[in-house]
Amino acid sequence: MRGFTFGQFYPGSSVLHRLDPRTKVVAAVVYIVASFLCRNTVSFAVLLLSGLVLILISGIPMKVVLRSVRALIFIMLFTALLNIFWVVDNSVGATPLLEFYFITIYAKGIYHAVFILIRILVMVVGTGLFLTYTTTPIALTGALESLLRPLAKIKVPVHTFAMMMTIALRFIPTIMEETDKIMTAQKARGADFTTGSLVQRAKALIPIIVPLFVSVFRRAEELATAMECRCYHGGEGRTKLRVLKYRARDVIALLLMLLFVGGIVTINICGARYGWFYTM
Amino acid sequence: MKKKKNTCPNPDAVGTEKGTPAGGPIMNQTDNPKIRLEGITYIYGKNSPFEVRALDGVSLDIHAGKLTGIIGHTGSGKSTMIQLFNGLTRAEQGRVLLDGEDIWARPKDIGRIRYRVGLVMQYPEYQLFEETVYADIAYGPRNMKLSEEEIRERVAESAEFVGLQPEVMEKSPFDLSGGQKRRVAIAGIMAMRPEVLVLDEPAAGLDPQGRHTIFRGIREYNRRTGCTVIIVSHSMEDMAQYCDDVVVMAHAKALMAGSRDEVFARADELEAVGLDIPQITKLMLLLREGGMPVPSGLYTSESAEEALMKIFNEAKREKEGRRRT
Repeated sequence: MRGFTFGQFYPGSSVLHRLDPRTKVVAAVVYIVASFLCRNTVSFAVLLLSGLVLILISGIPMKVVLRSVRALIFIMLFTALLNIFWVVDNSVGATPLLEFYFITIYAKGIYHAVFILIRILVMVVGTGLFLTYTTTPIALTGALESLLRPLAKIKVPVHTFAMMMTIALRFIPTIMEETDKIMTAQKARGADFTTGSLVQRAKALIPIIVPLFVSVFRRAEELATAMECRCYHGGEGRTKLRVLKYRARDVIALLLMLLFVGGIVTINICGARYGWFYTM
Repeated sequence: MKKKKNTCPNPDAVGTEKGTPAGGPIMNQTDNPKIRLEGITYIYGKNSPFEVRALDGVSLDIHAGKLTGIIGHTGSGKSTMIQLFNGLTRAEQGRVLLDGEDIWARPKDIGRIRYRVGLVMQYPEYQLFEETVYADIAYGPRNMKLSEEEIRERVAESAEFVGLQPEVMEKSPFDLSGGQKRRVAIAGIMAMRPEVLVLDEPAAGLDPQGRHTIFRGIREYNRRTGCTVIIVSHSMEDMAQYCDDVVVMAHAKALMAGSRDEVFARADELEAVGLDIPQITKLMLLLREGGMPVPSGLYTSESAEEALMKIFNEAKREKEGRRRT
């Protein structure tokens, strides 16, 4: 469990790293919308290309980026296969590429499979690049707090939520470390977590879970006391060490994102009107 | 305090070698060591930008039946070292021998090594979980599949070592004071009757009273059971008072190892790595340099007082004798 870092933040100094976190949150949302707007071969090609460009700009090694996709490979392949086997082309003149007992595969199915594969891939990589890889978790919660501030008008405790999120993120590595320590300690007392029946293994976890809970509550209490000692009283009138500020590059980034969405919509319209490319 | 002179079979091996190479001479060497480290090198985060050499070619003997103290600053590699003794971690290079056998000879049996070498981690009170103190101390022995009778006997014995009253045994461990919790946790490992008991900063964060209770209990355990005990600490005073042998760690290496008297006699070298000999020992050394006939190897203020009073009384008697003549 050692070496676990939350959020896969990859330190760097690229433009993506330096953008205001709020810009990145908005850009990530726009990017997801754009990936859903894609309708035909060319727009998906543009989407794929944009993903590659983003990776290049961020300066994060391809290997690291692809690692985050690895966990999703199963879901991606599963959806792709579903599309290949289940999509039925009812349009006039469509003939199956393959008919074998109950299996019929249409060209449309293969197109759909590839499209969805690209969509999931780019969505995961894109949001990852905007949010987790180039933004620290703390900056991210700060951005969310700032973006959601209008909700405070209708009595949503935005600051409290942001603080809770910050604390939760902050303590994930600490608690991982604690778990590691307790596990080592119980192993030294002869605890065995890997053999035995399911019930036995569940029981073997008690010596870890009880001390862990005790320690989490103790930490929470200590933290609350420490915060009160420093006169924490919620968000009102609270200033920040790092004040978020929009800069020229943020405006440019947002304009580029809008241009990107506009481009995709244009390609879609052209494709549909002139029948240039395969359209979903 | 009675001075117990340790015999070191190979005084030449009392390490002076600062850059001991892997597999170099073994420090504090003895014929039948309980534990022997041979050229141990341990690296954290290997092949990453954060690579740290926590141990660098350490070769060292731990004598059977003795109470050995491992001293060093934070980051000197002492805590890393003790996790090697019972195979919780494995070194990149080198071997750990327990009674002359490599503990990693059969990696699948490493669990059995953990019964033979008991480890009390830092702040062990945070590992308590049972409903009663008794059940918590009995957790280890129960994992060893001992009979109820044997367990009862062992729990009572180890509770006695650490000074836990019988009426505490049925309480919840979470209702005890910090010092008591610590003692319950230590008793939990003692009850497994390991051949070697390793404790990482057993008295950290306790008041002087608590420190002494714990150290006295550990010493008592060592003397009565004859088991080898290893204590890790950065408190020179405690180590000087309770240990037979001392190992000094600095910069991922074992700087010195030997009997307490041998190590503390080298005050200059200890101070060079930022470690202090006990204040009272230092004072006695200064008095000796100044020409006072105080004996060496005094580590407690009681023994120093006794020695000084002897000198004072002798001087007084001499003076009176001279006046009479």
